[in-house]
Amino acid sequence: MASATDARYGQKESSDQNFDYMFKILIIGNSSVGKTSFLFRYADDSFTPAFVSTVGIDFKVKTIYRNDKRIKLQIWDTAGQERYRTITTAYYRGAMGFILMYDITNEESFNAVQDWSTQIKTYSWDNAQVLLVGNKCDMEDERVVAGERGRQLSEHLGFEYFEASAKDNINVKQTFERLVDIICEKMSESLDAADPAVTGAKQGPQLTEQPAAPHQDCAC
Amino acid sequence: MDLSALEGLERESVLQVLQRDKVLRSLEEERIRRMRSDLQEIRRKGAKSFARQYSERTCARCQRPLGRLWDSGATCRGCSHRICSKCRITSSAHGWECTVCHAYRDLKIKSGEWFLEERAKKFPGGLDRHDTTGEKILKSYQNFSHIAIVPPTPPPFATVPSFNRSGGLQTSKPFTKSMENLFVSLTSHIKKISKSHNDVTADPALLTADSCSVYRKERRSQSDTAINWPFEVCTVECRRPSLSELLRQDRAEEGAESSPAYTDDDTSPGAELPLDKRGSVGSISVGDLGLLDPNVCRTGEIELGLGYSLGTSRLEVSVRACRNLPFGDPKRKKCHPCVKLHLLPDGSKLKTAVKRNTTDPVFNETLEFSMERPLLAGRTLQASVWHSGTLKRRVFLGEALLPLDGWNFEENLTQSARWHQLCPRTKTADIAVEQQNRGLLVRVRFSSSSSSPRQERRPADRPGGGTVLGQLTIQVTGTRNMVENLTKSPGCVNVSVRGLLSLPGGPRQSQEALLQEQGSGSLWSGRLEFSAVPAPGLQGASLELSLWDPAPQGPRPRLLGTARLEEASSWQRVQQTPARGMTLACPSRPAKPEGNIVQTRVTDSRAAGVPQHA
Repeated sequence: MASATDARYGQKESSDQNFDYMFKILIIGNSSVGKTSFLFRYADDSFTPAFVSTVGIDFKVKTIYRNDKRIKLQIWDTAGQERYRTITTAYYRGAMGFILMYDITNEESFNAVQDWSTQIKTYSWDNAQVLLVGNKCDMEDERVVAGERGRQLSEHLGFEYFEASAKDNINVKQTFERLVDIICEKMSESLDAADPAVTGAKQGPQLTEQPAAPHQDCAC
Repeated sequence: MDLSALEGLERESVLQVLQRDKVLRSLEEERIRRMRSDLQEIRRKGAKSFARQYSERTCARCQRPLGRLWDSGATCRGCSHRICSKCRITSSAHGWECTVCHAYRDLKIKSGEWFLEERAKKFPGGLDRHDTTGEKILKSYQNFSHIAIVPPTPPPFATVPSFNRSGGLQTSKPFTKSMENLFVSLTSHIKKISKSHNDVTADPALLTADSCSVYRKERRSQSDTAINWPFEVCTVECRRPSLSELLRQDRAEEGAESSPAYTDDDTSPGAELPLDKRGSVGSISVGDLGLLDPNVCRTGEIELGLGYSLGTSRLEVSVRACRNLPFGDPKRKKCHPCVKLHLLPDGSKLKTAVKRNTTDPVFNETLEFSMERPLLAGRTLQASVWHSGTLKRRVFLGEALLPLDGWNFEENLTQSARWHQLCPRTKTADIAVEQQNRGLLVRVRFSSSSSSPRQERRPADRPGGGTVLGQLTIQVTGTRNMVENLTKSPGCVNVSVRGLLSLPGGPRQSQEALLQEQGSGSLWSGRLEFSAVPAPGLQGASLELSLWDPAPQGPRPRLLGTARLEEASSWQRVQQTPARGMTLACPSRPAKPEGNIVQTRVTDSRAAGVPQHA
């Protein structure tokens, strides 16, 4: 859903250099769970009920103020359709955090969460931060995935969990802000661990025990 | 990954997104570059400086002396230097760090380098920040796209300077220390260079190794009157090794092929330097040498081969390679060089492809200028090397100027290839002006027997009865940039002018006269007269004027320079104004060191005739 107006908006945002750091976030999940709507609600505070399938990949830029820092977010919106999978997985590696989304009115999208999680493990870095989001929580009448099931699955996978609605603007901002926070935490951990005077450990590329993951030539 | 599975419109849509991403990334790149230079600044201000005698009892950052009991400083965890209490920044997690370590940590956060390091743990392929999928797709689809999404800028390459990556990933020691060690080892090299300055300037053999470059420098020195010895300055600049060269030397000396000089060895070269050595190079600071200033330090060489193909009337220039180029982007240690060729003053321009990430590019390209051989005279081939940076920003790396006058073109391009030293920029305009200014001012008068009553008719010399003979008078009225710098004392001018008039199918006439100074400055007078010159033949005539310094101490006179007048239109104008004569500027040609008149027949298309009243 890369329209010209969006591009213009993105450019204005993206040329803004007044920020401290930049995080890259990827939104993944089955087709039509509401990834694009979620992003539009967050970045533009807009919502349209019409469904337009995302072609391949798109992104938006938003700068937020969090923990006394201006953080620029480049949020990648991916196509859920299987046929775009090669494109979207190529972008996993550049992402610091993920929003894994399912539709609470769609059992299949919930069942696919496990697979998406495996994809993240395969293609992304080890400390990839993931939030599990059950979207469309405004449609309580049509709910087929109970909130409890979502919470249990997220615990099992080690993700944090939100139920949200892009349409009614529920938990959208909170989701992104929480994700930013946990990426910040990881960042501090990473830096402290990297400080050899603190850990005394030799720092360097650790030879991986397992052979390198496929798609090694891809990164973003 | 490829987009072949997608339909045309889908592909365009994706490529557009990737293009937007690319813009974003180059902006980010620029931001990080700025942050890095800021950090560099902080580090340079403080740091255990080699420019000063370093003592344990001073703070490594602010250089303040430390007390023995009170404010005695403490060792920073990051860089292991002794730091006074004012140069510490307390971070909540683990005590304090010195200002530089703190700034470095800050940079790691802000540039996102922490993430790259973390990621490298899982994908140790040594991925560059911008060696991305998007970049690859964009590149591969540039040619296929229907719409104009071909990036207007050269693709930004890896921002992360190699020292950072290696410092972050491969070594256990902190980055700051390794940088300082690098600087210390650099100074020892700098010292060597400073010693060799004298050798270079004193040894004329080094200077005359390439007659072309000598000529060029000579011209520079003449044009630039503000500096007494630009000759020397220029030479020294050319001889100065680049940072990359120093690093290479460093590497070679340490015998560490695998690790670059700036990654930490266990023994730092700085630690081995005795204190007095550090003191002795105290007067040189990094800033002085312009190592961080891309505009000051220009080094490197270029290998060029010149040939002329008579069959196709083309000047063929084989651009083979460059070596020891400076970094076009010193902060990121990047260099994407390309070579531009320009036939000065007004010829066409040609350019080689851009080689990426190298200071020793190999081009092996042959570029051709379509130009008649005689027109090459008086032109200069300018081979300039440029770094092709992001956002179309080009950084000048150096240039070599090859005057084509009397160039001995060889058949085989590869055989004729020679290394030329790259030099700092000479303004193109200057060259043109210089070339035009350098020469002789002569007043030429041709009085045919019909218009001059004093001239006797000599029927014997008129075979066929129709040929008009005349007298050609050449009066040298001044010189420009030919004699001034060569004759030291104005009172004792001892320069003669020799004229050689060649007529088509006729005999050569030679005349010689002594130049006499008139007043001060460059006003001279000397008169040459050629008699019995057939008027019709004048338009094909060639007059060569050479200036000689009789040089009593030498075995033979020394040639100072030659100038030529042989353009048909000039002669025509001379004939049209028989009574008054006209003043012409004869562009000069370089003096050959061996002192021979070069007999090659060249036409100068630029001999500009300026008619004046006598």
